[in-house]
Amino acid sequence: MTTRTANMARGRSGSKFETVLWFFTRVTGVLFLLLGAFNLVYANLSGGYGNMDMAAQMRWAFFPISFHVESTAVEVTPNFANPFWQAYSFLLVALAATHGFNGLRVIATDYIRRPLLLAWVKALLLFLWLLVLVGAVFLVFVFAG
Amino acid sequence: MSRLARVSLPQALAYRGGQPMIAWLLHRVSGIGIVFFVSMHILAAFFLYSVEATSFTGAVSEALTEFYEALPMQLFMLFAVLYHAINGLRIVVLDMFPGLWKHNREAMWVQWALFLPMFLLPAALMLMRVKI
Repeated sequence: MTTRTANMARGRSGSKFETVLWFFTRVTGVLFLLLGAFNLVYANLSGGYGNMDMAAQMRWAFFPISFHVESTAVEVTPNFANPFWQAYSFLLVALAATHGFNGLRVIATDYIRRPLLLAWVKALLLFLWLLVLVGAVFLVFVFAG
Repeated sequence: MSRLARVSLPQALAYRGGQPMIAWLLHRVSGIGIVFFVSMHILAAFFLYSVEATSFTGAVSEALTEFYEALPMQLFMLFAVLYHAINGLRIVVLDMFPGLWKHNREAMWVQWALFLPMFLLPAALMLMRVKI
């Protein structure tokens, strides 16, 4: 109980970084639900209804990229040269990667007690996060265009 | 920071945290699973498209596609994403209205009532390979 109050007191005066990421995690989490629902409705309105199996519906709901429905009979897919879909896809994957790698950072700080090792793990996570973002830029803006 | 207690595996398994512990554990496992899969998927696609197509890259992408479309893999991803989403929504709602935390137990039953049909119905459709 004492540690709990100590933690809460520290939280109130503590780092703004953690508070911002705490809030970011919640906001993006709710956003992903809305985007997933939007993607599903869009997929079925744009020619997916009757042509996609359950797995393709899910792939499309997670991330609406034309590669994801290549194996189905869907003919109408968003034009990825369209800046709206490019911005939308990139925003979705960037927010998801940030949400996810921040989660891994929190898990790492929970379990790793040696400060030096923790710093290296955090650096590795930062590197992987940036690599995923670079990969996403190329996939969305160059390869899927 | 308090030091973590050293707990042996049998002791850890005997710890009965009940529903909240299961939710915490599943949230973590599903979160790690999603980050791992999505990062691997993006990076694999990025590197495969970055290099010139050869018979080797063809074989790699074929093996990867087979892995992505394997039923156990898709069922796990459905489970992980859906559980993480619904459990996360519970946490967001209860954090937003902290007075509701005293109803956490009931909220967890509501959560299972939402999760089970939303997981089992698509899972059954996928197992039967039904076209929607």
